Amino acid sequence: MKKLLLICLFVLAALPVLTQSAFAAGAGPSKDMLKGIVTQVNGAERTVVFVKDGTKEVRTLALGEKMKIEDMKMNTKVLINLDKHAGENVMKDFSVMFMDMTVSKLLALLAIGAIGGLLSGFIGSGGAFVMTPAMMSLGVPGAVAVASNMCHKFPKAMVGAYKRWKYGQADIKLGLVMASTAIIGVQIGIEIQKYILHKFGGAGSNLYISAVFMVVLVFVGGYVFYDAWKMVKGGGEETVSKLAIAMQKINLPPMIHFKTANVTISAWITVPVGVLTGMLAATIAVGGFVGVPGMIYVVGVSAVVASATELIIAFVMGAWGSVQWGLSGLIDIRLSLLLLATSLIGVQLGALGTTYVKDYIIKVVMATTMLIVAVSRGVMVPGYLADVGFIAPVDAGTITLLERVSYWSLLLALCSAGLIIIVAMVKGMSADRRSRKALAGVHHG
Amino acid sequence: MEATQFDKNMMAVAFSEAGEHGTAKEILKNGKKGMATAPTPVKSKPYLKTAFFGAISISAYILLFKNEQLVTDIFTMGGWRWVYPVGAAFFFSFIHGTFASNLLSSLGLEAKK
Repeated sequence: MKKLLLICLFVLAALPVLTQSAFAAGAGPSKDMLKGIVTQVNGAERTVVFVKDGTKEVRTLALGEKMKIEDMKMNTKVLINLDKHAGENVMKDFSVMFMDMTVSKLLALLAIGAIGGLLSGFIGSGGAFVMTPAMMSLGVPGAVAVASNMCHKFPKAMVGAYKRWKYGQADIKLGLVMASTAIIGVQIGIEIQKYILHKFGGAGSNLYISAVFMVVLVFVGGYVFYDAWKMVKGGGEETVSKLAIAMQKINLPPMIHFKTANVTISAWITVPVGVLTGMLAATIAVGGFVGVPGMIYVVGVSAVVASATELIIAFVMGAWGSVQWGLSGLIDIRLSLLLLATSLIGVQLGALGTTYVKDYIIKVVMATTMLIVAVSRGVMVPGYLADVGFIAPVDAGTITLLERVSYWSLLLALCSAGLIIIVAMVKGMSADRRSRKALAGVHHG
Repeated sequence: MEATQFDKNMMAVAFSEAGEHGTAKEILKNGKKGMATAPTPVKSKPYLKTAFFGAISISAYILLFKNEQLVTDIFTMGGWRWVYPVGAAFFFSFIHGTFASNLLSSLGLEAKK
């Protein structure tokens, strides 16, 4: 058993080194993306002189058809996507890498960080699904938003995992086994994504992501909700699922014992759960929505331990991802640290909140979030279907409306989950205070 | 056999009724002494620690935003410089995380024992 753990640790330690060499060899998030500074703009020829970051290679790039020369910004770091179909040096889009930080943007980041942190500390994951789109709506380029979110995720998860480990809820061994196998799953997920992108183009890829998102979230979220409902009716007692009991009976070596989770199960069961978590994390960007239910219903871990262990997985995967994004130099540290300013408070509040609530509350919060997020993705499907050509084109006004509904439902998911947590926590705390007072009264009387 | 608190109280009442107030007081005093030895942990709130780590944290944030141009340029150079953003995230998580932990304790928000 120790051998397996050592292998997991070795894989985790070796991966950043391997990825570094891969990036040093020229690989990046996208080969069509350039990062650097525009030094000259030629309005008459519709070209710009671009100096690439790092190598200082100078290139003359032509503006794409839909681009305006007035939008070009000089002497500031920019991200340029190339349109390889139009030509080797033709730009598709242009975005300034670092947005100007205004007070309203700063406050928005702090608010999102606080609720995202609270959710993360409580259910083990959360926030990522809304942080990236929120940052993009503030004017941050997509790649920078993903990278900065990743760099804020791992310290937050680390602090949350530490707190919940102190409360005796996190199973480090289970976390490491799941994380190392999830990283393998991420690689498989990326390959599938690449294949779909290559075969069906951007619209096909969007449709695939949304479809997977919908199916997983409705199915898993619906089941978690049903299970939580059963627990409420049954007096709040958590029972191990029939599937998990059957899985634990499979005596296929190597068997692993997880002390905190109090489960002994074959590696042949935990490894696929980890791989699947990673695969879905690479597709829908929120691995916890699969990892936590996977640990609860397949491995047979309690909701409290599963959500705490998810934070260890999030830490390992977040750190690994941050190294990758750091290698390509896309992390806007200002965004990461502003999110951290409040999420580090939120995550600890969420973590201590779990000590006051019954297990089913964690499931209720998780299911509510998943189902509302499913709606947000679902409303985008008609647009993607039209893009692929499966249905008649949808007019621009409807698409804008659907996009707005999608974005606001994401925020609604975040806020409603935050509200349930706060209410449950306050109730739990006041009940605890009352019982302690009553106990003190008995002692003194 | 040692007398319980109830026995002691009854004894004090009996002595008091008999006019021996001094003895009654002595019995009650002993009783209180016994109670004082019972575990009553009163944890002081970490105001000083909160202020200390809060000050370091806010100074680090001010330092970062005063030099945001320089920091963002250096931190996004790519290659081995991934150490800068990842290291900064670790540094802030320790400093700001400790501040946040102490802040919650100062506000009386502790995990259920």
